[in-house]
Amino acid sequence: MYLHPGIIRDVFVQAVYSLSDNKLRTVLSILGIAVGIAAVMAVGSVIQSAREYIFAEFQTYGLKTIWIYRDWGDDNENKVVRQGSGIDNDDFEVIQHGCCSAVQRASPVVYSQKYTVTVNNGNDFYDAPVEGVGLDYLNINNDNILVGRNFSRNDIEHRKEVALIGLKAAEELFGKNSSYLNKSFRLYKRKYTVIGVLANKKREIIAQLGIDNYDINGRVLIPYTVYQSILGSKDVHTLQAEAVSMDKTHEASKQLEDLLQRSHGGRYNYTTETMDGWINQAKTYLRNISLAGLFVASVSLLVGGMGIMNIMSTSVIERTREIGVRKAIGAQNHDILFQFLMEATYVSTIGGFIGLLLGIVAVYVVSMVSEYDLNPSWSMGFVAIVVSMLVGIVSGFYPAYRAAKLRPVDALRFE
Amino acid sequence: MIELQDVSKTYHLGEVRVPALKHVSLKVERGDFVAIMGPSGSGKSTLMNIIGCLDAADEGRYLLAGFPVSLATHSELAELRNRHIGFIFQSFNLIPRINALRNVEMPMIYAGVNPETRRKRALTALAIVGLRGREHHTAAQLSGGQQQRVAIARAIVNNPDVIIADEPTGALDSQTSQEIMQLFAQLNAGGKTIVMVTHEVDIARHARRVIQVKDGQIFNIRYQ
Repeated sequence: MYLHPGIIRDVFVQAVYSLSDNKLRTVLSILGIAVGIAAVMAVGSVIQSAREYIFAEFQTYGLKTIWIYRDWGDDNENKVVRQGSGIDNDDFEVIQHGCCSAVQRASPVVYSQKYTVTVNNGNDFYDAPVEGVGLDYLNINNDNILVGRNFSRNDIEHRKEVALIGLKAAEELFGKNSSYLNKSFRLYKRKYTVIGVLANKKREIIAQLGIDNYDINGRVLIPYTVYQSILGSKDVHTLQAEAVSMDKTHEASKQLEDLLQRSHGGRYNYTTETMDGWINQAKTYLRNISLAGLFVASVSLLVGGMGIMNIMSTSVIERTREIGVRKAIGAQNHDILFQFLMEATYVSTIGGFIGLLLGIVAVYVVSMVSEYDLNPSWSMGFVAIVVSMLVGIVSGFYPAYRAAKLRPVDALRFE
Repeated sequence: MIELQDVSKTYHLGEVRVPALKHVSLKVERGDFVAIMGPSGSGKSTLMNIIGCLDAADEGRYLLAGFPVSLATHSELAELRNRHIGFIFQSFNLIPRINALRNVEMPMIYAGVNPETRRKRALTALAIVGLRGREHHTAAQLSGGQQQRVAIARAIVNNPDVIIADEPTGALDSQTSQEIMQLFAQLNAGGKTIVMVTHEVDIARHARRVIQVKDGQIFNIRYQ
């Protein structure tokens, strides 16, 4: 099949004329498609924004993170009470020396309960979650230092009483807009010097869904060796590790668990957690919303498509004679098919662009009234335009095919 | 140019078989001007449609400029109409909304002629039919006679061998009809073969031969 280049322009001009012949009908069909495309655009953009939000929040844990800790239920099985967390500094050292191929880095996490942190002046106090951590903790957790520095090897080895604190904690302790570095506060009878302030992390959706209410920006981090000396124990409560890649998290978990089983003679059971579960859950959740949105959009596109099929069928009937004349002067069937397909696609694509604009407006309106900052997804816009063209082609096909198949004698005889 | 051998055509209206042409044979030489006459239902339209490659015969052979039309596919028929035949209709049948120039360009668009040549040839054709200066008028802005001139320009623009005219003056007053017939005579003098269906004796008089059709058969051919 060969289309003459002149036909494209001819068809375009024809389409404009024939569509402007019946403006109301054309406008209604265009609107039908526009509503469907606006729905595609709005739903797609909201889902895209939601996906970005949720994954940005997941990033605050590190997507390759593995947590491993003792399964405290193991006592019940064995009917013996075992002391300790089942993880100690020696385990961490073994990991540091490259025991586990799927593990990139690791940090001990030592904690016990919430401590009341008191500022030096003794008047202001504040309940903070306190954790004892290692050098790589910030790296694993995708934490950024706003001012100051990370712990040094020296801080950890010599149990320096230094701290990294969240920005919110800093503001609580020392007030807003002050300088926080080298200020000190009291924690469990000792005095700590602030060596760094951590940037705030966003976990709004996670908190709203009740997944994790940990006061991330209010935390106080100290060297794990210091915390162990406060608690008088060599226990590491959780080992947080980072796998070499996202698809190696299970392998890394297995390696860590094997290591701990070996080094503690199989006396403890361990639990490992990765982000996989959450990521999959979020994906399922987003997919379900997408499907619901897609359904709504498909229904409106279906209605819009039927509108186009209707105007094209009417147009073919009204122009039967014209089709006959075109065939008499040499139009091939595919020329006629193409002409009506183009016309249908033209209507639906105009509808697509209008729908795109409506969708973008809808996204901004939702963005303004909701607390979330939503953005139109341009890839979704591209999809919307392609979909609108497809709707035109699909719904225009049957009328166009009928026009193409008309016998010239019959078409010319048509009154 | 046109050679029909034993051509038959039967229409099926439900269960009823309506024979429209019964074993018709006809030869039209290059440069001839033939009028086909006959009462309605005589089969003259069917004959014209078959000659114009708009419809296919059920039986018999049809050669157009040596090409076996009776064996042609739909696509080949379209190409034959495009290259070898120019149609002129009673009701002019210009494409509405687009101007005279674009109407005349239409057969060349389907023939794949490039835009510059197309425009040049369309302007020439419009000049031949005496419509210089009316190129940008649409059908609605032209009189009946002028519309038929545009249609004639469209019919001749691809330089076809045969012009087929179906009651070309049926919708025109006698003064305009005469003008159109003069144009036909001019085209015929220029070597175009013309096959014209008419029921007006005055119009048929312009042809070289008058073929009388009745009950699906040619019953008289008169030279004049």
